[in-house]
Amino acid sequence: MSQDTEGREPLPIWFFVGVILAVYGVLVIAGNFMTSRPTVLSETRPGLWWGALMVVAGGIFTAIGVVAHRKG
Amino acid sequence: MATIELAVLDWAIIVLYFVAIIGIGLYLRKFTKTGDDFFMGGRKNSSWVAGLAFLSANLGALEILGWTGGTMKYGMFVSHFYWLGAVPAMLFLGLYMMPFYYSSKIHSVPGYLKLRFDERTRLLNAVTFAVMTLLMSGINLYLMALVFKVLLGWDWHVSMWVSAAAIGCYITLGGLMSAIFTEIVQFFLIWAGLFLLSILGVMEFGGIGNVMQGLPSTMTSLWATTGDASTNAMGVTWLGLVMGLGFVMSFGYWTTDFLVVQRAFSSKDLRSARLTPITAAFFKMALPFIVVVAGMVAYKLVLDPASGFKLPPDPSDPSKLWNDAALPLLIVRYYPVGLVGLGITALLAGFMAGQAGNVSAFNTVWTYDIYKAVINKKATDAHLVWMGRMTTVVGVLLSIGTAYLAMQFNTIMDYIQAIFSWVNAPLFATMLLGMFWKRTTSAGAFWGLLAGMIMSFSIFMGFRFNLIGPELAGVLTLSATPSDMTRNLWQAIWAWAVTFGVTVLISLFTTPKTDAELVGLVKGMTPKVDEGKVWLLGRPGFWAAVALVVVIALNAYFW
Repeated sequence: MSQDTEGREPLPIWFFVGVILAVYGVLVIAGNFMTSRPTVLSETRPGLWWGALMVVAGGIFTAIGVVAHRKG
Repeated sequence: MATIELAVLDWAIIVLYFVAIIGIGLYLRKFTKTGDDFFMGGRKNSSWVAGLAFLSANLGALEILGWTGGTMKYGMFVSHFYWLGAVPAMLFLGLYMMPFYYSSKIHSVPGYLKLRFDERTRLLNAVTFAVMTLLMSGINLYLMALVFKVLLGWDWHVSMWVSAAAIGCYITLGGLMSAIFTEIVQFFLIWAGLFLLSILGVMEFGGIGNVMQGLPSTMTSLWATTGDASTNAMGVTWLGLVMGLGFVMSFGYWTTDFLVVQRAFSSKDLRSARLTPITAAFFKMALPFIVVVAGMVAYKLVLDPASGFKLPPDPSDPSKLWNDAALPLLIVRYYPVGLVGLGITALLAGFMAGQAGNVSAFNTVWTYDIYKAVINKKATDAHLVWMGRMTTVVGVLLSIGTAYLAMQFNTIMDYIQAIFSWVNAPLFATMLLGMFWKRTTSAGAFWGLLAGMIMSFSIFMGFRFNLIGPELAGVLTLSATPSDMTRNLWQAIWAWAVTFGVTVLISLFTTPKTDAELVGLVKGMTPKVDEGKVWLLGRPGFWAAVALVVVIALNAYFW
């Protein structure tokens, strides 16, 4: 891929994946605290732990993306 | 059935997806200047990036919905489409075919046909591939609108135009790199948005053992019921499975379909290109843990009236239940606000990535194999990038036209779904002979390819219009009353065999190219590429062996 006028490479895809996962994780956690129609296994609070997992995974991918970009 | 209600937060998640993919396209725009940037993603990708894109280009929402529903009909047999019908072909591509593709620095699979054979063979494949990708893209668009209309009550026209406009926008801006970025985002969204359904389903039954308990052996075994076609739900023997799915259809698709192979061409070097399909094979192996587990959970829930889980009538045939609705109904059953938005976004991303893959492959084949090869041979690189962008817009508009056509004439779907065996199965024979038998001639390749395509089309039409009676059906498919799946498998086998036979026959009576012309294109005529000193964990051969062991173990465990 061509370098832009500043000679920089684009941010790696892992950065975008990380940000999207983290933001979605936060929104999924937020949904856990909103009024929802009754669902099966709602007592296990899937939005809470799954959203938390997404935030953690998102953080890791974002960090990988930033580090890879700095290394160039 | 009542449509799924979305909360404001669910809508926010969906809208955010559109903002993200168009934002990525805008960001990548400034890095996309040359033809290699636009059509080949800059040829700088690692095997991880190219491998995930390679897998995701094939991992559409249709596959996820279809095979979850398919599990309710065929049980674990669905895993064959991953473990038998994909992994071996992906490993073969990485180990044996990629060196010829990648080292010749071509822009497309038809480009290889030009180098190995001649212009007419390239043109035959380029035109059929271009038509196939546009039709597939349109069908994907139509089915997306159908699913969202029935499940969410979304307007047909809005669904199709908004998603098509977003795809057209980000591919026009960033080319293949945009497509690859969004495909990888889609891969993670599918796992984040849909794998939880399998987990919650297994939790509801108290373990995977309880999900499998009480199911007939035809639902829970891979090979044990393949001795006789009448003893399994798919109605196929092990021979049909291995030859049709495991060999012709699988190798035909994964090793020659430019839609997926294009992702490997974007790799930074030959070793990464070889590792691309091998990396993808590991992730492909894992997908049954979404589709098959979710499908079995849905099957068990349907069997229990007290569960309240009911499938709606099929929109195209109301006398049947709509198995493909199983996954969205599991979303309704288990997901609260927020997760519903994530699950719908995963499906939306899957549909859109499928269309984007087709459009990006179409713009490359049109630009390099039809426009530059036939219409404007002196086109500059800048002009080709402009043409690629314009072709993207035209491709998206033609996809929308195909979608409207499918909406008006539902039977067109039958033809389009069979198109893979008209195009890919014969092409695999041509490629195999071209790469591994230097005696294969240009005339043999062209007429063999054409004969195989005609053969496949003739068998399809014969069954479609009931021109093939039980006796002939028995000869062609080893079954007097073959299922649609069995017909498709054998149609592909015959197409491959005819192409192979005709190509060999004509090649023996025509003049082959000289050895000097075949360097880099045929095994035995190509010097072995020295990849330098690479430690064991970096070698394609090592990871292919690991993948093979794992897939054999999975087959043995679920025998």
